[in-house]
Amino acid sequence: MNRLIRAEFRRLLATRMWWGALLAGGLLGGGLIGMLTLVGPENFDPPMPGLHTEQGVRTVVGFLGYTAFVPAAVGTLAVTSEYRHRTINFTFLFAPRRWQVLVAKIVAHGAAGACYGLVLATTAAMAFFGAAAVKGVALGMPAAGIIELLARTGLAMVAYTVLGIGVGALIRNQVAALAVVIGYLYAGETLLMMIPGVRHLYPWLPGGAAAALTDFTAISDALSQQLSTDPVHLLSPVAGLLVLLAYTALFGVAAVLSPMRRDVV
Amino acid sequence: MTGGRLRIEARHLTKRFGDVTAVDDLGFTVEPGRITGFLGPNGAGKTTTMRMVIGHIAPTSGSVTIGGKSYREFADPSATVGAVFDAASFHPGHSARNHLRVYAAMGGHPDQRVDELLSLMDLTGAAHRRTHGFSTGMRQRLNLATALLGDPRVLLLDEPSNGLDPAGTAWLRSFLRYLAGEGRTVLVSSHVLGEVQQIADDVVVIRQGRLVAAAPLAELSGAAPAILVRSPDAEALAQVLVRRPSAGPIPRVERIGPEQLRVWGPDQAGLADLAAAHGIRVHGLTTEEPDLERLFLDLTGSTR
Repeated sequence: MNRLIRAEFRRLLATRMWWGALLAGGLLGGGLIGMLTLVGPENFDPPMPGLHTEQGVRTVVGFLGYTAFVPAAVGTLAVTSEYRHRTINFTFLFAPRRWQVLVAKIVAHGAAGACYGLVLATTAAMAFFGAAAVKGVALGMPAAGIIELLARTGLAMVAYTVLGIGVGALIRNQVAALAVVIGYLYAGETLLMMIPGVRHLYPWLPGGAAAALTDFTAISDALSQQLSTDPVHLLSPVAGLLVLLAYTALFGVAAVLSPMRRDVV
Repeated sequence: MTGGRLRIEARHLTKRFGDVTAVDDLGFTVEPGRITGFLGPNGAGKTTTMRMVIGHIAPTSGSVTIGGKSYREFADPSATVGAVFDAASFHPGHSARNHLRVYAAMGGHPDQRVDELLSLMDLTGAAHRRTHGFSTGMRQRLNLATALLGDPRVLLLDEPSNGLDPAGTAWLRSFLRYLAGEGRTVLVSSHVLGEVQQIADDVVVIRQGRLVAAAPLAELSGAAPAILVRSPDAEALAQVLVRRPSAGPIPRVERIGPEQLRVWGPDQAGLADLAAAHGIRVHGLTTEEPDLERLFLDLTGSTR
């Protein structure tokens, strides 16, 4: 098992994609949060409470959740690229107990997702506190609380990596799997929030659960406001964490089980 | 090579993909210490069979074992079987060296083995290049290097000469001969008969997923030597031959032109004497070298 994990780390570090993903983490964390902080939530459309309020802080930090497509895509590619480039031939030759390959991928890419989350949270913290200082705003939340929010967001990225691996293992076709993962994270859940009835499922979906981690309601509230519907109530941070962990476990198990009986032709 | 010799045994091996039966009740053995050619036209089921050996494809029924065990049961799979399939089984963004390092780690083989194989496959100069720009020949050599990382006791090669130049093919032949000489089991599939004729000790021939023939090459191709006859009286000679001129089996005659026959049965002297006795003119007699290609076409029915 250790051999397989070592091999997956080598595989990950051998491409430029991984360094690109880390760079994206830095640019999204630092760039996006820096920009949002400088603009200020009071200037969003529709306007949100400013950074001097707790909700304003949560709104800005919560936008980091929208960068989850990066680790999700990295996780998806971890599996689909094996099929696309036919390396699966050698991988299952060297490791005929296929479930072990998927466990190794979850471990190695889960660690990679944590690295991405760390870069994202660190650069976001620097940009957030830096931009707030430049604006001279007294933040509506203590620094320790903000750092905790950022750390939770960083950890959620591990879950998204595993979710990506699961979708990749189930779908296998690279383009289709990436379209599903990115499409869902970007548009799918937001669209679901607009459908009456279905929208109440949102807190239980991966995005809703991740939003609960940071109590990020900016998007759902804005939608409710525009559609004149009741706001969707997110789960508590702990419940959100549990739901997210459940999804991680579900997709992790799906990833491990899915290649067991399929022929590699 | 560490560990004993391993024989591959397929018994009643069958694989159906939906309505299509790719492999049908196939049984054969592949002996260690020998090179076995796995022959059949394209689509005969060779690749499916080879993938069943290593568990890439699960048989619908029947079994195939390596040294009496299924591939999944080996504690050290990559030191047991090395296999080469498609012409490109690596990530285009990986360098040759990084590709091999991934699988060296996976198999628990030392990194030093990576350098050895890069050198053996004449890829040291290209070791740091991304495989994206590799030629077909380089891809084949990198595939072979990957298969050999664990110094495996069994080697499966699916159409290995594709993309190799004549020098590369000659090198591969002598290399496989060397590996078989060490007691390894070598199975090489091909639809190019000349190729197999030059390297194989044994042949397994399949058609439409079914076994057609399995025997030592010498036995199979030596079974039917033919004599090519040039004669202006070819038709008269053919008539004489099939009238059973002497004791023994009736010669088989194939008319291949107005003045040419191919004859199986008598030897050159017997044929010349028979022609002389009947006053038939003969302008040339040539014994044809055993020709696996003809045999193959006969066996697989490709001439139909």
